[in-house]
Amino acid sequence: MNVQFKKGILEICVLVLLEKKDCYGYELVQRISDKIEISEGSIYPLLRRLTKEKYFTTYLQESSEGPSRKYYRLTTKGKDYLREQMKEWREFTNAVNELIEEGDRND
Amino acid sequence: MTEKQFLDQLNTALSKLSAQEREDILQDYREHFAIGKADGKSEEAIADALGSPNKIAKEMLAMYHLEKAETNVTAGNVIRAVWAAIGLGFFNLIIVLGPFIGLVAVVFAGWVVGLSFILSPLLVLMDAVLYPGTFAFFDLFFSIMLCGLGLFIAIGMYYLTIYLTRGFIHYLKFNSSLVKGGLKNE
Repeated sequence: MNVQFKKGILEICVLVLLEKKDCYGYELVQRISDKIEISEGSIYPLLRRLTKEKYFTTYLQESSEGPSRKYYRLTTKGKDYLREQMKEWREFTNAVNELIEEGDRND
Repeated sequence: MTEKQFLDQLNTALSKLSAQEREDILQDYREHFAIGKADGKSEEAIADALGSPNKIAKEMLAMYHLEKAETNVTAGNVIRAVWAAIGLGFFNLIIVLGPFIGLVAVVFAGWVVGLSFILSPLLVLMDAVLYPGTFAFFDLFFSIMLCGLGLFIAIGMYYLTIYLTRGFIHYLKFNSSLVKGGLKNE
């Protein structure tokens, strides 16, 4: 799959996962890399950027197994941003699908 | 690569950042290694899946320069941000460097025109001093008109430069958010 394409999608994936529940970095990485092949380390720069833009807040929570974990929580601003991104994503995929179907009909 | 090697490389590549910010970044990766190991993975496997520390550092640095360019708009900061964005990949070479050169050329040309118009009466005076015979009122009035026009152009350029710089930083941010999140088959 096209590299540039996947990079933009990573952001939506993170936002969608955090909308369901607060997650820590490792968890996000695992859940995304289960489905999409990514360079796992690149999620952390993404998380930092979105945190700095106030789409997430973070908090530390002790864990029974191993070290304390940094959890990410979607803010109201983050939820608005997610909705906006989802809308664009749907419009984009619909348009691409329509073009593909048109192409099929012409074959 | 072991955990230590990974963190050392990342630390070195991030030496431009403040100690506090660097520590904050390294902590995220330490946590990642710790959980991965508790999960039964080897350090090498975790480091391998994380990808190149240098590539990660590049993204972090691009972000850092962009922030700086945004909060403190100086030519140096903007150029560093452009350079960092280009460092993220060839893709950016075209879509960042192209518009950047274009904008710089437009702004530069505008300022040159404005300033030379403003200074044109001086040229007429110099001409009059050097070759007293050729002095013509038409030249003088025309150059005074140019001077006025030049003042307006300079004022316009002042605002245009501010808006263009702001707009361009915005564009850089958009662009680097598109490019951020480097993937395996890069």
